[in-house]
Amino acid sequence: MNALTPNAPALPAPVGLLAELTHRCPLRCPYCSNPLELDRRSGELDTATWQRVLTEAAGLGVLHVHLSGGEPTARNDIVEITESCAKLGLYSNLITSGVGGALQKLDALYDVGLDHVQLSVQGVDAANAEKIGGLKNAQPQKFAFAERVTQLGLPLTLNSVIHRGNIHEVEGFIDLAVKLGAKRLEVAHTQYYGWAYVNRAALMPNKADVDRSIRIVEAARERLKGQLVIDLVVPDYYAKYPKACAGGWGRKLMNVTPAGKVLPCHAAETIPGLEFWYVADHSLGDIWANSPAFTAYRGTDWMKEPCRSCDRREKDWGGCRCQALALAGDAAATDPACSLSPLHAKVRALATEEAAESPPDYTYRTIGSNVRSPLKEEAPL
Amino acid sequence: MTAPFPTPVADEAQRLLTPEELEAALRDIGARRYHNLHPFHRLLHDGKLNKDQVRAWALNRYYYQAMIPVKDAAVLARMEDASLRRIWRQRIVDHDGDHPGDGGIERWLKLAEGVGFRRDYVESTQGILSATRFSVDAYVHFVRERSLLEAIASSLTEMFSPTIISERVAGMLKNYDFITKDTLAYFDKRLTQAPRDAEFAIEYVKQHATTPELQRKAMAALTFKCNVLWTQLDALYFSYVAPGLTPPDAWTPGTGLVPEAAVAQAPGTGTLVATDVPRLPRGVRLRRDEVRGQHVLLAPERTFDLDDNAVAVLSLVDGSRSVHDIAGALAEQFAADRTVIEADVLVMLNDLAAKRVLER
Repeated sequence: MNALTPNAPALPAPVGLLAELTHRCPLRCPYCSNPLELDRRSGELDTATWQRVLTEAAGLGVLHVHLSGGEPTARNDIVEITESCAKLGLYSNLITSGVGGALQKLDALYDVGLDHVQLSVQGVDAANAEKIGGLKNAQPQKFAFAERVTQLGLPLTLNSVIHRGNIHEVEGFIDLAVKLGAKRLEVAHTQYYGWAYVNRAALMPNKADVDRSIRIVEAARERLKGQLVIDLVVPDYYAKYPKACAGGWGRKLMNVTPAGKVLPCHAAETIPGLEFWYVADHSLGDIWANSPAFTAYRGTDWMKEPCRSCDRREKDWGGCRCQALALAGDAAATDPACSLSPLHAKVRALATEEAAESPPDYTYRTIGSNVRSPLKEEAPL
Repeated sequence: MTAPFPTPVADEAQRLLTPEELEAALRDIGARRYHNLHPFHRLLHDGKLNKDQVRAWALNRYYYQAMIPVKDAAVLARMEDASLRRIWRQRIVDHDGDHPGDGGIERWLKLAEGVGFRRDYVESTQGILSATRFSVDAYVHFVRERSLLEAIASSLTEMFSPTIISERVAGMLKNYDFITKDTLAYFDKRLTQAPRDAEFAIEYVKQHATTPELQRKAMAALTFKCNVLWTQLDALYFSYVAPGLTPPDAWTPGTGLVPEAAVAQAPGTGTLVATDVPRLPRGVRLRRDEVRGQHVLLAPERTFDLDDNAVAVLSLVDGSRSVHDIAGALAEQFAADRTVIEADVLVMLNDLAAKRVLER
């Protein structure tokens, strides 16, 4: 590790690699975490490059690889890539929609040593779920996929992204997770970047519903202790302190896009002026230690007040840079989700206002759409 | 007259056996026909049944338990010797108890409640299979109608029950998270009661089966009783395992339960005890992290940094050692007190189990 980081002996080794293998996906969720400008298939890294990236990641100290997308099973080489993870001792986590060719490839993935499956579910009621995901007949495919996962003895996590279109189904998600034999459930309130930011007014739930969902999760955690672990991500806009985004900028996570661009988090490209390096040009270790995008907000030197003197600065690392940019117009500002930010009250008011109005229609994510980021049109707060 | 039930070895019916030979012949019947050999019991003890199948077993078997004192009262009514009655009446006390809330039937109700049933539903017996009712009723009729010798001989299945009980208790505790030691309290008592009862019964039969004809009848009675037990499992298997044809009005999953029990619990979960055998399930791996110079436990979407103690414990979690064994090995390795270590190990492993990264 030191050989890679001669000038910064304290540089932590990355723990996780989010491998966005492709942006192709049969679903069109309005809160998709992919960027508004999606990579096309022709620009995707080839198998050998991914295998080199994984080898470098293992050498750097990465333990977990999240095989994501888009829909990662849309790649023809998903089995080979997973097998490489197993051979390198990397813990492989398939983050999948469970639709399309996912079920067909599952047994082969199991055979080469896949460690864990995280399956997204958009809703409990099939019609609602399929409206949110924008794909007919997705729900039965997901259930069949989940059944095979548990049949094989693979650990299953259900991931539910919560917003006003399904916040009434939180109880149902918990029952569904138990019924499908999941060991973990993520009740993740939407984080408003990228597509979710475009659709924020259609997605933002009201405070009473958010509070209710938290109470339901807390009661279920007690009731299902030892059977189902429930991870809760509360919506930032209603939180007291921000989350340590990606565990702190450039501290734990690397994100490689389908085209091989390496980001400190999946939304980092929304910050203008950051220089990202590509795996085609640099080794992963070089990128981790030296790429301008990673060094820009690593540690605490870049912080302004109130973060700079805050005793939480090494707990939440100032929150999310992308959100600071989106809401405060400055990526180095305190995340306005933090109650210590001067803009926090405005953010809370904005959320309350949007949640009180009747929701507009979703803008579904799609490759090659003309959706422009509202970041460019909306004046910062 | 042809024998109503075939005796196991035809030749033995032709001559008078010595008491020891008779006992051996009776034991041979159990060795080949006792219901521990039934496929349903193998599934039950090996943890291969789901919770609803275990429920079906507990519900149906209640009717057998509930009718045992009726059967024993019928036997008692045939006994003209007070010294015999004093011994036999203990069976009724064992099952009915001395007061409300005591006795074997009560303990079976606890078992049924332990797997989620409402007590009143179990007591009503409305959901049991007809084959259960027919078999149990046939047993009661048998002891009423046949000789006292045959009635007593039919109880000799108790000679074989300690084996099945030990197997069952160990197997069920190990394999079903919804079964606790309390739930299985019924069997604790039977482990001491059954051998005592069987000892009396076998001595009685050996003493009173004094002709080849009587010996043949005693053997036939025991065979009949084995069939009473076997038939009940056939019916359970047919209705709830394969082909899964449940007769009209018989219990179906989801009914007769207390509301909370409607939520199924996953296999392998629940609190670990010292006799449990912990294992790391698929998707949880103990690994050396060379970059950071430590061991880590890799699990779905999380990593546990392990200290030396945790590594020592988890290195011994192999799916074959019990918690007790693990504590023993560590006690030897570190020359420390096993009891203290066992308590610490249980705390650590239960913490991991609660996080769903360790199972049993």
